[in-house]
Amino acid sequence: MVQAVKRIVIVGGGTAGWLTAGVIAAKHRSRIPASFSVTLVESPTTPIIGVGEGTWPTLRSTLARIGVSETELFRQCDAAFKQGAWFARWTTGASDDGYYHPLMLPQSFNQINLVPHWLARNDGRSFCDAVCPQGRICDDGLAPKTIATAEYEAVANYSYHFDAGKFAPFLQRHCCEKLGVRHVLADVKRVHLTDNGDIRSLETEPAGEIEGDLFIDCTGFKALLIGETLGVPFIDCNDILFCDTALAVQVPYETESSRIASHTISTAQSAGWIWDIGLPTRRGVGHVFSSRHISVDAAERELRDYIGPAGKDLPVRRISIRSGHRQIFWKRNCVAVGMSAGFLEPLESSAIVLVEMSAKLIAEQMPVCREVMDVIAARFNNTTEYRWGRIIDFLKLHYALTQRDDTDFWRDNRRPETIPERLQHLLLLWRYQSPWYHDEFDRIEEVFPAASYQYVLYGMGFRTELEPEIVAGSASAAERAMRENAAQIDKLRTGLPRHRDLIRKIVQHGLQPV
Amino acid sequence: MREASTMTTHQLLNPQDHGHLRVSSRKAPEPHFVQIVPSEFVGAAISCPILFSKDPATGAFYAGAVLALKPGERALKSTEERGGFEPLSLQRDGFFISGERIAIDRANPRFSETEGEPLFDEGQQPGTALRRIQRVLGQLHEGIEQTAVLVRELMSLKLLEPIDVSFSFDDGERLQLEGLYTVSRDSLRELDDANALRLFRNGHLQLAYTIAGSLNQLAILAHLRNRRLAGDR
Repeated sequence: MVQAVKRIVIVGGGTAGWLTAGVIAAKHRSRIPASFSVTLVESPTTPIIGVGEGTWPTLRSTLARIGVSETELFRQCDAAFKQGAWFARWTTGASDDGYYHPLMLPQSFNQINLVPHWLARNDGRSFCDAVCPQGRICDDGLAPKTIATAEYEAVANYSYHFDAGKFAPFLQRHCCEKLGVRHVLADVKRVHLTDNGDIRSLETEPAGEIEGDLFIDCTGFKALLIGETLGVPFIDCNDILFCDTALAVQVPYETESSRIASHTISTAQSAGWIWDIGLPTRRGVGHVFSSRHISVDAAERELRDYIGPAGKDLPVRRISIRSGHRQIFWKRNCVAVGMSAGFLEPLESSAIVLVEMSAKLIAEQMPVCREVMDVIAARFNNTTEYRWGRIIDFLKLHYALTQRDDTDFWRDNRRPETIPERLQHLLLLWRYQSPWYHDEFDRIEEVFPAASYQYVLYGMGFRTELEPEIVAGSASAAERAMRENAAQIDKLRTGLPRHRDLIRKIVQHGLQPV
Repeated sequence: MREASTMTTHQLLNPQDHGHLRVSSRKAPEPHFVQIVPSEFVGAAISCPILFSKDPATGAFYAGAVLALKPGERALKSTEERGGFEPLSLQRDGFFISGERIAIDRANPRFSETEGEPLFDEGQQPGTALRRIQRVLGQLHEGIEQTAVLVRELMSLKLLEPIDVSFSFDDGERLQLEGLYTVSRDSLRELDDANALRLFRNGHLQLAYTIAGSLNQLAILAHLRNRRLAGDR
């Protein structure tokens, strides 16, 4: 007789836990409660870390699939639009050094690779502005859509910044009221295993014993199930990504009508970088740095210098970061999602997108019975390990391309032995051909598409050798795409509302579902 | 309903200030898309497509009748060819509701002291023309409320859907109408019995089918526009 998988037990009530609960419950809604259950066990005593960071546009389709309203996201989670990131002082460290990594693809990306054409022109225009309107939209402080654009639809591609402390309770209400997720407030005291080493049940206080067929570990850095119970080792990557500490602070706006940036601002420092995220209610600012290269006191001074007089007496919260991930993510009948699976500095907002991808994979591949679970676990591990590797590569790319040599931090970051071999090979490859639809991007759900590599590489002054014949062969198509881009820039700059004005309207009138 | 922004020329209507004022039929050309309210749907649908659009200021849906396929072009059918259908929001041109009272846009060319019907009679009471306008404003005011109720119901049952309207005309021009919505016939057919009965009883089912059916008028308007391009009209 096969052992059916019907009882999903998620441990941990942060963003990862509730997002995973929502994705799984929405996907299996027709089976709940008759033949399927999703239970989330949340400790009433453990605080949620909720550093909060940006998200990827994938979150729009994830939230739409879960069935929450985008209008309510803005009303309840202090959400703002994010259209990409501005990286300041990453290349040379000079005061005018900066580039955008926008969320829109380059014009006609599916038909033509504009990189060689932009390189051939060499007319001083940034790669971003030559191929995409989003940098200019961000410069102007405009929103990526209008009040007449339907929920989750975009004029310019976007994701969100929001208050992570409000996001988890927001999802919780929806999961419990609309999706039939069972919410248990209790502390896990012991984990009971079966003879073969599977997790059989959780002994909780005060909710008693909770049995399950599949356990999802969303307990954050604690990694209660995957680490403490099942002993899956943690693979450190601080030899590649050096940042290990963050100092976070919340900065009020000067006035209620102060401009809200519609992109993340990331400014490189002497031994790390500062994030600056605009919510409607406040800015979230933080310094991520390598404590091997700078003292905490000095790092705090850099942070306060960045904020200026507005941050004089604001309290600073210190968070330790352990960069790396589990050796495997799904062991026996337990799978780790969120910070229990791993954590990397929030340079490209990869944490929540990875939660979404993992939850989606679990929901879609949901094993019918225990007998098939190990096959699915192996596939899940393979895919997820690949994703962590690609994110590490992509984050390291920002450091590997720097020309800065003003501190040990930047000099160490450029040392080849700190750059993963795969990334070194790609950097060699990209000297002769630019990333586009090549074999490097063969997975269906790449975390970072080739376009992202283009924006970072050519934003940071990377140069690829040109084949004159290739440039000449598609010159007129490239000419057209860049002309269309210029026209689109004008159209969007006149047609889009100011970021703060649109948020105000969404809160007041709401966006329509269609 | 979007009101004219020239508030400086708006005046509260009263027999002391406007005893000599007269009103004639509206002078301005008809816009290509005009807001209408549910009480007008049946009359409009026999000659015009009825579609929903969004108020650019609030994103709220409103219903409208398509009179021409391109902004700035004159209506493809005359009022007579439309079976006498003249949208209330055009009939009231120049008149507005201001709280409990009526205001007028004094700069509107339909007002003069020499031409048209007098607004007030000798006894300073509203004349025939003004009483007609009062009824129109009343119907519109009520109709806006009815539209909001209708839209709420259509949305909650997921009956509204965006529609892409594109034409290729005989002169080679391609025209795309954007930001328009209609009632989905597929979703109407999938209504469960309880909702179908409720919609039937509260009159929204008839309105929904009237809107869906009026889509056929798009092809007729396109045909008329081709004939106009050929110089027939």
